[in-house]
Amino acid sequence: MQSWRRKSLWLALSASWLLLVLLGGFSLLRLALPPRPRPRAPQGWPRWLDADLLQSFSQSGELPEDAAQPPRAPHGGSCNWGSCFDTSKCRGDGLKVFVYPAAGPISETHRKILASIEGSRFHTLSPAGACLLLLLSLDAQTGECSSMPLQWNRGRNHLVLRLHPAPCPRTFQLGQAMVAEASPTVDSFRAGFDVALPFLPEAHPLRGGAPGQLRQHSPQPGVALLALEEERGGWRTAGTNSSACPWDGRCEQDPGPGQTQRWEMLPNATFCLISGHHPQAASRFLQALQAGCIPVLLSPRWELPFSEVIDWTKAAIVADERLLLQVLAALQEMSPAQVLALRQQTQFLWDAYFSSVEKVIHTTLEVIQDRIFGTSAHPSLLWNSPPGALMALSTFSTSPQDFPFYHLQQGSRPEGRFSALIWVGASGQPPLKLIQAVAGSQHCAQILVLWSNERPLPSRWTETAVPLTVIDGCRKVSDRFFPYSTIRTDAILSLDARSSLSTSEVDFAFVVWQSFPERMVGFLTSSHFWDEAHGGWGYTAKRTNEFSMVLTMAAFYHRYYHTLFTHSLPKALRTLADEAPTCVDVLMNFLVAAVTKLPPIKVPYAKQRQEAASLVPGGPETRPKLQAPDPNCINQIAAAFGHMPLRSSRLRLDPVLFKDPVSVQRKKYRSLEKP
Amino acid sequence: CEEEAVCVIMCASVKYNIRGPALIPRMKTKHRIYYITLFSIVLLGLIATGMFQFWPHSIESSNDWNVEKRSVRDVPVVRLPADSPIPERGDLSCRMHTCFDVYRCGFNPKNKIKVYIYALKKYVDDFGVPVSNTISREYNELLTAISDSDYYTDDINRACLFVPSIDVLNQNTLRIKETAQALAQLARWDRGTNHLLFNMLPGGPPDYNTALDVPRDRALLAGGGFSTWTYRQGYDVSIPVYSPLSAEVDLPEKGPGPRRYFLLSSQVGLHPEYREDIEALQVKHGESVLVLDKCTNLSEGVLSVRKRCHKHQVFDYPQVLQEATFCVVLRGARLGQAVLSDVLQAGCVPVVIADSYILPFSEVLDWKRASVVVPEEKMSDVYSILQSIPQRQIEEMQRQARWFWEAYFQSIKAIALATLQIINDRIYPYAAISYEEWNDPPAVKWGSVSNPLFLPLIPPQSQGFTAIVLTYDRVESLFRVITEVSKVPSLSKLLVVWNNQNKNPPEDSLWPKIRVPLKVVRTAENKLSNRFFPYDEIETEAVLAIDDDIIMLTSDELQFGYEVWREFPDRLVGYPGRLHLWDHEMNKWKYESEWTNEVSMVLTGAAFYHKYFNYLYTYKMPGDIKNWVDAHMNCEDIAMNFLVANVTGKAVIKVTPRKKFKCPECTAIDGLSLDQTHMVERSECINKFASVFGTMPLKVVEHRADPVLYKDDFPEKLKSFPNIGSL
Repeated sequence: MQSWRRKSLWLALSASWLLLVLLGGFSLLRLALPPRPRPRAPQGWPRWLDADLLQSFSQSGELPEDAAQPPRAPHGGSCNWGSCFDTSKCRGDGLKVFVYPAAGPISETHRKILASIEGSRFHTLSPAGACLLLLLSLDAQTGECSSMPLQWNRGRNHLVLRLHPAPCPRTFQLGQAMVAEASPTVDSFRAGFDVALPFLPEAHPLRGGAPGQLRQHSPQPGVALLALEEERGGWRTAGTNSSACPWDGRCEQDPGPGQTQRWEMLPNATFCLISGHHPQAASRFLQALQAGCIPVLLSPRWELPFSEVIDWTKAAIVADERLLLQVLAALQEMSPAQVLALRQQTQFLWDAYFSSVEKVIHTTLEVIQDRIFGTSAHPSLLWNSPPGALMALSTFSTSPQDFPFYHLQQGSRPEGRFSALIWVGASGQPPLKLIQAVAGSQHCAQILVLWSNERPLPSRWTETAVPLTVIDGCRKVSDRFFPYSTIRTDAILSLDARSSLSTSEVDFAFVVWQSFPERMVGFLTSSHFWDEAHGGWGYTAKRTNEFSMVLTMAAFYHRYYHTLFTHSLPKALRTLADEAPTCVDVLMNFLVAAVTKLPPIKVPYAKQRQEAASLVPGGPETRPKLQAPDPNCINQIAAAFGHMPLRSSRLRLDPVLFKDPVSVQRKKYRSLEKP
Repeated sequence: CEEEAVCVIMCASVKYNIRGPALIPRMKTKHRIYYITLFSIVLLGLIATGMFQFWPHSIESSNDWNVEKRSVRDVPVVRLPADSPIPERGDLSCRMHTCFDVYRCGFNPKNKIKVYIYALKKYVDDFGVPVSNTISREYNELLTAISDSDYYTDDINRACLFVPSIDVLNQNTLRIKETAQALAQLARWDRGTNHLLFNMLPGGPPDYNTALDVPRDRALLAGGGFSTWTYRQGYDVSIPVYSPLSAEVDLPEKGPGPRRYFLLSSQVGLHPEYREDIEALQVKHGESVLVLDKCTNLSEGVLSVRKRCHKHQVFDYPQVLQEATFCVVLRGARLGQAVLSDVLQAGCVPVVIADSYILPFSEVLDWKRASVVVPEEKMSDVYSILQSIPQRQIEEMQRQARWFWEAYFQSIKAIALATLQIINDRIYPYAAISYEEWNDPPAVKWGSVSNPLFLPLIPPQSQGFTAIVLTYDRVESLFRVITEVSKVPSLSKLLVVWNNQNKNPPEDSLWPKIRVPLKVVRTAENKLSNRFFPYDEIETEAVLAIDDDIIMLTSDELQFGYEVWREFPDRLVGYPGRLHLWDHEMNKWKYESEWTNEVSMVLTGAAFYHKYFNYLYTYKMPGDIKNWVDAHMNCEDIAMNFLVANVTGKAVIKVTPRKKFKCPECTAIDGLSLDQTHMVERSECINKFASVFGTMPLKVVEHRADPVLYKDDFPEKLKSFPNIGSL
């Protein structure tokens, strides 16, 4: 017992000693060693004791009650939109542009510019009714300098289009005129008043234009990271590993001959480094844009084209040339997501605004129109995402959700209802059966009958579950695509009185359209092809393994395309459609394809066989609608568009269980499979 | 402090030992004394140690406290001789590339500029008269905000931007020449290079310049009230005039929609000419226009700032702003008006009538979305201009106005940080904040999707696809898959991912001879995610992920799948489709493999997709999903479906009627015995992923893609893809 106690006592004692030694030892150690500087928190701005007592910067007596008349702008040749442009002239018709006729011979570019203005919906022939007077000025090539025009009026409401930086001595003062010129210097550019144009090469096509050269979204592996412009023109590429210093003249190390490769034409690289003050920088910039090579501009002294509306940070990198090394390092480390986005944006911008003279000129006018419109101008989203502001008319709406293109960005969905628009053409029979079939669809919101027939309107129509409206049309084929205000839904089911559809087909096609609101979803298709023999485009309604058009006698599409058809197509094309009614399908398909750059969508059509049979000429009921249109038509339209926008598709969207050998009870769209 | 705690416990026990005689009862006295002494020494030692531990800390901390908390009145005084140098006037031609020394910002990591703040001093002239109020409440807040931010550095040598502590927020509270002299004697002034001044109230009577009159040479100016003539585009920053009411009054957000008044003017001290114009509007349009002015007959003790009057009717300000759809913001003597901030706070759409005014943060903010700018000349037309705006757009503007206030106006801190961010974006443009991030309200940001493959582009067929076969040890089946896949015309490369670390792949000579390059990649670990790794060997954009037992797909099916992918390069294109359903009983998601009329997923046992999604799967998969999948050895396909749907906002494309991958010789996951547990596991995956993504990104569709002439009454031999159709 005793020994147990003693033992425990000793144990406690020694434990205490040990603890003492340890603790004391540590303290001594700390004393002996010089204290390590503790990681010091940054000193920071002090928290003042009397911070709450400090006075506010604006005393209440600050209100400038008896202030003199606010200072007027010092008018020293400086203009801004509010003070130098008179928008009152633009009321009513919106922007109307008068172009001064050229005096004397004109250059090729000049001619193209004139042609594109004259072909636009803005053009007017009377200077009095115009809200903008456009002076194509000072063409360096011809050596002629224009003289002061008649309606000059100190340049008010004038736009002076200058393609080459001031080659002529100032024969007259610009006064209050706006200047649109290629790559203006930053210092003389009046933001919000002048317009910065892209460089227009002589060979730039009038319309259409070469598409962007990007064939795939992401850069190919192993492609050069950087392309550098050469003094003499052309490009030189540098690999990713060629040191961080490939910039000639500023670099001490030579990148070595083995690592660089020279390109005469467009660069095949991820980034294109363009020096800011090089005289050719603007043309290089455009070249890079077309090639899908992300332009890296080093301290540009010129304004980027259409900078007022285009968000260039999405397609190019404007960096400080003095931080070149950091820029190069940043390019190398740039995330694939960013590279992907920038590359695609270059292609979109090139295609939407720069690839032809017509696009450049129309963009210029659209920029000015946006200023006039003020609040009903294009929102930034419409300018900066496909299909671009030229294709998304702000007269249709300023809310992106109203268009078929922006549902993703807006987090919105196409609405769940459609309007059926039935065109009654030559036959003149009220399409009662069709109306019943369409009205049977749960998604149908209204039915519109477009009576385009010499016969009088029938007074009685069938009873339908949905409202039925009859519009007395003016007997033109292009009428079918007029933006009737009575159409209240986004989706339109365009029908011909002689089409025959089942409710099931309508339902399924509409559900598909909701997934692809920007495309046309149709039942009957046709395709275009290049006809070697005739050296032109051909058209066939034969059933093949692919198609590029759907017939509008039975198709779903967004009602926006009616607005686009009526207001953006040149009048000549609409007249063409009126004269050759079979052409209207082709025209509508061209239009939608030019906007979406995608093929339409085909859905199954049960009556395919009968339709095909009735195609045979001399059938009991001739079907003019299905006759292949005159090949002239497709060629004329293609010429007017400047390129062939149609894309081919090799697929059809069917219901998931379509014609599968499973129980019919499982299937939602049963009647689709009936022979 | 842990040591101290231990000490206290030990001390207590020791004490108890001494006083408790019961523990040491029958000891000899000599021994007892000996023990007691020993214990006392130990005790003393422990106490001493404890004291020692405590002592120095308390001294240090009290010291810190003294340094931190000082009074503004005690700051050092600096006497400025009357003849000390004055900086040049501001240089109007300054741009970032001419006047800004960007080299100072060269060494900043993470693409973030470093900002130094000069210590606060009190400046007096030769006669001891102060140059200005030392510092205003707002400027103190502003410097505190910078100091608390990531931008701040206390190392003057590493700084890229310098902010003087000399308060120039209000020009009227300072002496111009002396303030300029004070600026010039700052340690790193160097003609004002890289110095940033904040000014909200520029100019003074009678002509009220639109920029700070203090000569400042090359210094950047963050100013409220710039005009187009004084603003140096891309160099200066236009900032709001802070309204102290922002902090004082809490106006809860009011939903958009029509309000009592269509147009409201709440400013006092308008120029008589303008007031006439506005009142003329009221006469013309009656009730829907309200023009307020200062109250003349307020009782004592009522703050005149917080009241406005119309005739004899008294309104609370700024609450009255919430009653109006549009609120006029007219220029006063100065262009920038604090009322703009109040108006935005109330969710009222500002109608800015101030020619040549540069709106706050106009370099990054899209004011078209939140305001209406009307030229002064057109003031009489204001009403009709506003009436032409559709209701939907007005509501959008109301929301946007409130959002701008919340993000960039509501506090001095918000103003300071936005200013620094703008300068930062100029210096590091490749890391700049995008238009959407600046302008889209949180609700839009949350709901919107920006598809990484947004360009409508159909890749050329000639590019072909790369097939990636994930395999472990089923060599025979693997070879059959390779042989089958190699028959597909558009195949351009075959990549075998050998996921077995214990066994070497077969010798080269044993592999089937095929017409395209075949490459074997060996992995370091047997993980499912190896299938979705962005291998350098993938040269095409299209990838076909295929299991080593998928031998039933015909060459036509695969070729057709590839062509469908070309038309939908931003989607997953697969064969058997699956569906997710909401289980109302269990209140959670359920996996469905029944043959339904809808699909929301495709199995990746064989699926085409863009190779970019491999990068996303490997490096950008949210949360712990990737590791979770590797650990559970299941659901990598569901994860891929979630990822693609989430990032593109689009549904999958199911091609051909095929419903299942059935291979005769392997125990398929579609087998009957495994079915039940398999379904439970898969459902669990869906619920797990939905919670990690925070939403259910999968989209349900009712369609699949078939060849144009599939099952049509048409000669089979003329069809492009005749060999399609088995389930």
